[in-house]
Amino acid sequence: MITRNDHLHIDGISKNFGDVKALADIDLKIQRGSFVCLLGPSGCGKTTLLRIIAGFETATTGRLLLDGNDITQQPPHKRGFGMVFQSLALFPHMTVAQNIAYGLKLRGINGKARRERVDELLNVIQLPLIADRPVSALSGGQRQRVAIARALAIQPPLFLLDEPLSALDAKLRDSMQIELRQLQQKFGVTTILVTHDQHEAMMLADELVVMKDGAIRQSAAPATVYRHPADSFVADFLGAANLVDAGQVSGGAIQLLGRPMSIPSKHPENTHLQAAVRAEHITLRPAGASDGSAVGTILFMRDLGPLTELVVDVAGENLRVRSTNAASQGMAVGSKVSVIVDPEHVSVFAAS
Amino acid sequence: MSIGLSRKRALAFSLPALLAITPFLGACFYIFRFSISAETGTIQGFSIRPYLDLMTPFFGRSVWLTVKLAFIATLIAMVLAVPLAFVLTSLRSPLARRCLTVTILLPLILNLLVQAYGWILLLGPSGVLNTTLRGLGIIDRPLFLLFNETGVLLGLVQTSLPLAVFPIVSSVRGLSQEHLEAASSLGASQWQTLRDITLPLLRPGLLGAASIVFAFNASAFAVPLLLGGRRVQMLGVAIRDMISPLFNWSGAAAAGMILIGITLFVLVFTSWLVRITSRNVRD
Amino acid sequence: MRVGLFPNEGGGSYRFVIMALAAIGVLISSLPVIIVTIMSFSASDNTGFPPQALSLRWYQEVIALFTQADGSSAQSVVDATLTSLLVAVIVMSISTLVCIPLAYALTRGDRRIRTGMELLFTLPLVFPLVILGIAFLLIAESLRLDIGIWRIVIPHIALVLPFVLRNCLGAMSGIHPEIEEAAISLGASPLRAIWDVVIPLMKAGILAGLIFALIISFNEFTITFFMYTIDVSTLPIWMYSRTVSSLDPSTLALSVFIIFADIVLIVLVDKLIAGRASLF
Repeated sequence: MITRNDHLHIDGISKNFGDVKALADIDLKIQRGSFVCLLGPSGCGKTTLLRIIAGFETATTGRLLLDGNDITQQPPHKRGFGMVFQSLALFPHMTVAQNIAYGLKLRGINGKARRERVDELLNVIQLPLIADRPVSALSGGQRQRVAIARALAIQPPLFLLDEPLSALDAKLRDSMQIELRQLQQKFGVTTILVTHDQHEAMMLADELVVMKDGAIRQSAAPATVYRHPADSFVADFLGAANLVDAGQVSGGAIQLLGRPMSIPSKHPENTHLQAAVRAEHITLRPAGASDGSAVGTILFMRDLGPLTELVVDVAGENLRVRSTNAASQGMAVGSKVSVIVDPEHVSVFAAS
Repeated sequence: MSIGLSRKRALAFSLPALLAITPFLGACFYIFRFSISAETGTIQGFSIRPYLDLMTPFFGRSVWLTVKLAFIATLIAMVLAVPLAFVLTSLRSPLARRCLTVTILLPLILNLLVQAYGWILLLGPSGVLNTTLRGLGIIDRPLFLLFNETGVLLGLVQTSLPLAVFPIVSSVRGLSQEHLEAASSLGASQWQTLRDITLPLLRPGLLGAASIVFAFNASAFAVPLLLGGRRVQMLGVAIRDMISPLFNWSGAAAAGMILIGITLFVLVFTSWLVRITSRNVRD
Repeated sequence: MRVGLFPNEGGGSYRFVIMALAAIGVLISSLPVIIVTIMSFSASDNTGFPPQALSLRWYQEVIALFTQADGSSAQSVVDATLTSLLVAVIVMSISTLVCIPLAYALTRGDRRIRTGMELLFTLPLVFPLVILGIAFLLIAESLRLDIGIWRIVIPHIALVLPFVLRNCLGAMSGIHPEIEEAAISLGASPLRAIWDVVIPLMKAGILAGLIFALIISFNEFTITFFMYTIDVSTLPIWMYSRTVSSLDPSTLALSVFIIFADIVLIVLVDKLIAGRASLF
């Protein structure tokens, strides 16, 4: 079913490389004007999916529908999706302006119209003065911006980015993420970005698509994926989550860290369950107050400034904990502590 | 890559070059066909007579001389090429590097006649060397360095040196500086580093270069013709003599096949050697 | 101290031996050319060393050879030089034109095919030239076709293909496939992307291949030695026929011209492919 807002419909796409299954039956609907991040470890098929969308790979089965039109068989240069590559792939034998103008030249846009469009984009990326420089003379951040401007110059229906920020150092990457997001909103272009960096994906995406082994594990808004991971892989991949075994007790409640906890569970009885608890959702109190919570021993403790990173041994499980007040409460390695877990922040799934 | 290249386009792109090399392949086949011809002057029927007729002491000596000279020249070229490659890769000044590159490369492509003139002027009976030595009173009668094996050997080393140096230069560039520094930090002297680290790491490149140099030298024609005269009958010259005064075409073709066989054997053998030894390194 | 294959300071016996061997290599490479150059300035009629006096008379003689139409020899040096140049230019154009698409196909295509094709196109480099010369001569004779200059051009093309292809492959290897895809994503057809992006980026390697082909063909002796006819002959053959009995100093002066041209062209190649290792 196609609704007006579904810009791109990825319909049952699979891809085999010889005997290797790179993508298995991918279904995804991408809203007009949204920013989608394909996130996953290397080899999960995210780049292959992007290249199929761009037309650089052909899917083994399945269809691609753009505004309801089947583009599966369309060659990449007819699709005209602007793409930013991992290596940026700026044309080294052209100046900045020639790079940005190339797609316009191919579309037969000449003379004044072309110059104006190039100037407009140079202004948007805040580099109006470097038009005639060779691209080899640019800094990392400038090259990045030129690559983005070159792709956006042709007003692409889809804007595709393949780990475009991975070559930048951490600080520059941070500011480029913000800039990229602002540009995307300014142009209102439907954007698909591939990354293995969960922080980057959270910063940029309207919708986060987590992939593993050629399949989509979860697809939702970043906050939803973070708070309610669909399975243990997603929980583990997005930020430091503790994965602990959870036995199921009768009445739908589960057993966590040796204590029963009232979390409604849809799983049938006697399935082996796992629970994910994020490091920042665990609270530590000095032991003693017998409030019924689990008791653990601090194995490792490090003051990181805004927070303290700890490893706590509770009933044989090593839990990572991020605390804002552990140091001030006089805790130290070897201290006994009460470990309090907020049931609202626990996700439960069948063990993989 | 699936957009990269369809099979059809790859073929279309390769076709012109394949067409350009077809005459060469045709010539190879033609020689082979002639070498099993029953007639010495034309291609007619099949016979192994041309090969049997070559089983003479004279031809045997020619084969032996060819292999011997090519081998010695290869050995000398390699001993000179490795230091040259080291120097070439450590030169910092682009000008010095360029001068050295030109000096080494020139003998391979410069008109062989010009170089032969140079050697004749240098080593001939009234050449630079003999005049100087006689002038100094070291010798009474001129040394005969030309139109014998020494002259041919010098010419072979000179013309094949670039074929050895440049592949070794690429291997040396692939060598990690850290390996050398690691060896040095463990207390290895420069000679020990050369023996234990550098040469073993360069071995595939060295073997590859040596095999090409050997094939080039064994096939040499102009150098033995110009510097060896009639007395140094390397295979190239012997084959020419079969057709020029003797008109024994099928014999020349058979001798050619034997020469090709020798060079191919050496090339295949060394590439096998490289495969075997590099497998040991990886395990 | 910086550790290196060739230490810049200190080093004792190692440095000395490396230095000495390299020096011998340089001497063997360059001595003949140096001697030819010195002797070409000799004033005397014979080639005794050292020259008693210096002069430019042999150069004047070479210039005279080229300027005076001399009907005495069957083919003049002017004809031979022009033929040499024409052959070299045709060889260089054809070999480069066929190698550019091949290099592209081999770099972007199946890796197993590439290994085999590279081997095939390296064969002329190690193939005995005498045999090639004889084979081409036999084929040309048996075909009984008057193909004029092409009887030299066709073998020369086979001869320079390995060099030209290596240079084109070297140029291709530096071009990331993403750069072509970038052009395609902006709307260029695959062929257009090759024309707009790949060819301009290959330029240095293509030029290097062109020049290589030019100098190799212009200097080629062995195959031409078998293929030349009274009508179609090249400069090296002319020099050989002139000096087959005795060495004439004017030939040395002519040689110096050739040496000079070759050096200029090699420097040009080296400049074009600066830094990259694959001279061949």
